[in-house]
Amino acid sequence: METLERTDTSGEPDDPIVEAGQPVTRDAQWYLKVVVAVAIAVGMLYWAAVEEKIRSTLITVVITVAASAGLWIAANFLFDQVRNRWATFNAIAFGLLGAVLGVLLHGNKLTLGSGSGFFTWVIGPLVGAVVLGGLGYVMTRTQDPNQRLTIATGTGLAAGIVIAVTIREQFQPGLDVVAIVVYTAILAAVGAGLSILLKHSPVGGAMIGAAIGWILGAWGGADLGDGSLVESLVATVVPAVLLGARFGMTTDPDYTERVNIDTRSRAVIFVGPAILFIFVMLVVPAIRTGYLSLLDRDSEEFVDGENYGSVFTDRNSLDVDNWTDMFTSVPFLIGVVLLGLAVVVGAAMKKRTGRAVEIGNPTVGPLVVGLLLVSFGAFTAMRGTLINNLWWVVVVTFFSTALGLAIAVLADGRRGERVAKSIIFMPMAISLVGASIIWRFVYLARDTSTEQTGVMNALWVGLGRLSTGSGLPTLIVTVLLAICVVLALIFLSNALVKREYGRAVVPAILTVSLGWFFVRFVGIIGDGVGGFKIDDDGTVSGQTIFFVQEVPYANFWLMVIMIWIQTGFSMVILSSAIKAVPTELIEAAKIDGATESQAFWRVILPQIATTIGVIVTTLIVGVMKVFDIVKVTTNGQFGTQVLANNMFDEAFNRVNIGKGAALAMLIFFSVLPVMIFNIRKMQQEG
Amino acid sequence: MTKRWLKLAAVPIALAFVAAACGSDDESGGGDTTPASEAPAATDAPDDGGDAGGGGDFDGATVTITGPERDDPSIASLNDVLGEFGEANNINIEYTGDADWEANINTQVQGGNPPNISYFPQPGKLADFARAGNLKPVTDQVNETLDEFWLDGFQLYGNVDGTQYGVPAKTDLKSLVWYQPAAFAAAGYEVPTTFAEFTALIDTMAAADGPKPLCVGIESGQATGWTYTDWVEEMVLRLHGPEVYDGWVDNSIPFDDERIQEAMQAPVDLWTEDNVFAAAGSIAATSFADNGQPLVDGQCYMHRQANFFAGLFPEGTTFADPADDSAVDVFYFPDINGDKPVLTAGIFAAAFDEDPATMAVMNYIATAEYAEKRQAAQTEAVGGGLSGYLSAAIGQDPSVYQPLEQSFLSILESAEIARFDGSDLMPADVGAGTFWSEGTSLVNGDIDVSEAASRIQASWPG
Repeated sequence: METLERTDTSGEPDDPIVEAGQPVTRDAQWYLKVVVAVAIAVGMLYWAAVEEKIRSTLITVVITVAASAGLWIAANFLFDQVRNRWATFNAIAFGLLGAVLGVLLHGNKLTLGSGSGFFTWVIGPLVGAVVLGGLGYVMTRTQDPNQRLTIATGTGLAAGIVIAVTIREQFQPGLDVVAIVVYTAILAAVGAGLSILLKHSPVGGAMIGAAIGWILGAWGGADLGDGSLVESLVATVVPAVLLGARFGMTTDPDYTERVNIDTRSRAVIFVGPAILFIFVMLVVPAIRTGYLSLLDRDSEEFVDGENYGSVFTDRNSLDVDNWTDMFTSVPFLIGVVLLGLAVVVGAAMKKRTGRAVEIGNPTVGPLVVGLLLVSFGAFTAMRGTLINNLWWVVVVTFFSTALGLAIAVLADGRRGERVAKSIIFMPMAISLVGASIIWRFVYLARDTSTEQTGVMNALWVGLGRLSTGSGLPTLIVTVLLAICVVLALIFLSNALVKREYGRAVVPAILTVSLGWFFVRFVGIIGDGVGGFKIDDDGTVSGQTIFFVQEVPYANFWLMVIMIWIQTGFSMVILSSAIKAVPTELIEAAKIDGATESQAFWRVILPQIATTIGVIVTTLIVGVMKVFDIVKVTTNGQFGTQVLANNMFDEAFNRVNIGKGAALAMLIFFSVLPVMIFNIRKMQQEG
Repeated sequence: MTKRWLKLAAVPIALAFVAAACGSDDESGGGDTTPASEAPAATDAPDDGGDAGGGGDFDGATVTITGPERDDPSIASLNDVLGEFGEANNINIEYTGDADWEANINTQVQGGNPPNISYFPQPGKLADFARAGNLKPVTDQVNETLDEFWLDGFQLYGNVDGTQYGVPAKTDLKSLVWYQPAAFAAAGYEVPTTFAEFTALIDTMAAADGPKPLCVGIESGQATGWTYTDWVEEMVLRLHGPEVYDGWVDNSIPFDDERIQEAMQAPVDLWTEDNVFAAAGSIAATSFADNGQPLVDGQCYMHRQANFFAGLFPEGTTFADPADDSAVDVFYFPDINGDKPVLTAGIFAAAFDEDPATMAVMNYIATAEYAEKRQAAQTEAVGGGLSGYLSAAIGQDPSVYQPLEQSFLSILESAEIARFDGSDLMPADVGAGTFWSEGTSLVNGDIDVSEAASRIQASWPG
């Protein structure tokens, strides 16, 4: 926190000087910047001159930048006319509208006279611009309501007839009366409803809605090319007249209204493009994916919910036949024992403090770990894509948050905090694909007759060799292990003698696990530890672990990759949240006699609870969509399939668009509640 | 003041970058195809039929080709051959070898951005695309060229419902087992001539304290499991004959039929830990391409794989050379009933448009000249020895093939029972989908054979 503040205050004085327009002194740094900028520009130009692809991309970028900037500036200039030159504005705006309409019809070669060639291309937009531009101009010169209505309706009628007559025969729509009625009715109702919501008269909105509905019903629901000139007229004239009449019903805005238009238009100019992009890139594809998910594999016929149903009936996505296996799985049993322990401790705590479970009391540890292990055991007993995804969410979310929190707390204020945190944060900079490739090498197994080159298997097989061997290295390791066990025992007995039972927990766990390892290592129980196997004739050979090929634990080893990456993320955010907790609070607690751990559990943790919530939800969303890791390491083989990879497989390998879309929607729906929760949280804070 | 201008300018610039990013896909795609589609107006279509290598002029039209072959020798030889033809005819031919071709070709086609030509190792997939209307039939001229250079039996798999879409570009002989004669001789092993001898030999080798009998690995990216399906096909042919094989391929004999399950189980029974050297520890994790090195290094005795595997042995490997102790040779994968069935495969080129330049390239691929030149280039690329390439086109100069390769060709031409790789003929859902993936699960021991068979059968479309 301290460092943040310092950079903030040191950064501020620079800005006002520049803002105030005072002469800027050009120091060496400024010249350096210029030199670097010029060097980059020259380098890019040279590059562009050499590389054809770069050149064409650069030209595209320049043209798009210029066009977008031009459009944006032009829009601003156009709306500059609103206040004082209303007629000009109207003529230009309507002219543009007409030109766009002309481009849509003519450019898509729907109308007669269109085709290739500059003149044939430009004639449609020109006609559209002149007709509608003229209408716009005339309307500003006419104030009488009856005249306005007549002129606008008449222009609509004329435009409708012209368009209908010029539509090429092969595009004349064969009308579907039901579709027209339904669409018109629905959209008219929507339009009316929107108008009421905006506190306008419902008639106007209903007319616009009806016009759009008519166009959709007549053109969208029709077989193009089946129709006649009459049908074409019906399809075009009605909405054109409706729109014209609606426009005719308006009154010419007075100066105050124009000022209003001017002000509001600026917001649209700024936000409009963004909304348009979101709509085109996000909303439309999402709706279309939902629609495709209801169709068959070739997107031709409706299959109701079959695609969704198959996700739940396919044995590859949900296989719970052997769910009773979980009662015999080791994690499950350990978890049950821990839960039992939690009950006992809980009862004791209830007696002492009145609450069985409370943040920071001894019940929480065994309870959480017990629940995690029980769920882990349950997941190992079941198979399928859906189970895997749930498993991912539980394990990755828990470990990433817990480890991140632990590191943030333990490193807080210690020497070397920055270095340690940087190192742990580093994996965030590696792409998921890159990380997966790295870990594939870590997990790699080689044939046991050769040397192991994967780190994990090299260690595992090496340990086996040490444990079953009898040379000097084995002796050294045995002695070292024995020393460790004795040290742990000393710590344990120290704590027990001092009756500090809380401090005895860690040494106790250490003693038990180290002791067990020692007993196994020297072969008092079993033949040793590590990757080895003993043949019938007594020869010892290596035995590798197929980390990412063994069902179902392969899933876990893939999750480790994600945890490795995400721990840094939660650590950084939690660390800054912890540093943001006011020191006065902690000091006050300490003056009141709180211990270090009480201060953490009772003061700091409640303060960062919302941050933890945000991290958990962000992780859940990210993990639900996990794809890269699975794709790179196992490609869904060996029981590691997840929804996103399954979606890719179905949509792009098996070309079953319906099922692929259904899986995409499923991921969307399962992430949605979490997203809503997250956004709510953010809004509450803001 | 200047600062505010910058901020204002940032808005449209940011928008423009988004627009440019969105548009650039089109740009690259369009850039590839537009020249090709504009070219015909400017140039005359080639009329120099058989002499496809001769100089037409296509005004620098671009023809993009994708395919799954991406090992160095293949890419080098394809670039050589296609580049030479392109230069002579002023066509800019770009070949892209794609490790995930099976998935990416679907994406490209669906995105409306297919290559002009793609090599298809699976006629089943070619047929899927043809029936969906994505592929264009070859022109009459290409058909004439095909008739001139290819027997009907080889053209057959490029034919979909009576229309020719595919042009054979490569022929493979699959029923081969690679071994080192010197290693066999040193251990006193004989080349097996019956399947019983083959399994007995495996048992002997496994019992002896030396290299393991077989090298097996079925990993191949998106296509992991295809090596296993080859073994199953060999076993169906050997155990139950061609009629059952044909019925199985068109699914009139389903996967869960006992005979098919027997054939699916046979390789799994053979691939025990004692019998198999898997370079990456387990069979399912070992790349199919990583079996050449251990064979040469003497870590295993035998490896069953098609003739193209010659290209995947380490550089400098010699073939069928009695003078060299490390030389590699092949023997026929022994049969069970004495009917000597042969499993074949091949790669077909098919076009996604019918521009003259595209069809000129298709026409060239159909010729013996293409085969001959590719063979020569690929032999050079692997540094002599077996190239891994093989083509059954008629009228090639036999001298470009080494004696061993010529013997492959004669096996191909003379085999009484020859069947095309079944998984490649099945619908892509199965042949390039569940047969691979469930087969991999079976090999890995995740599911048993009846479970695998019923899952594969359930995925058969329609």
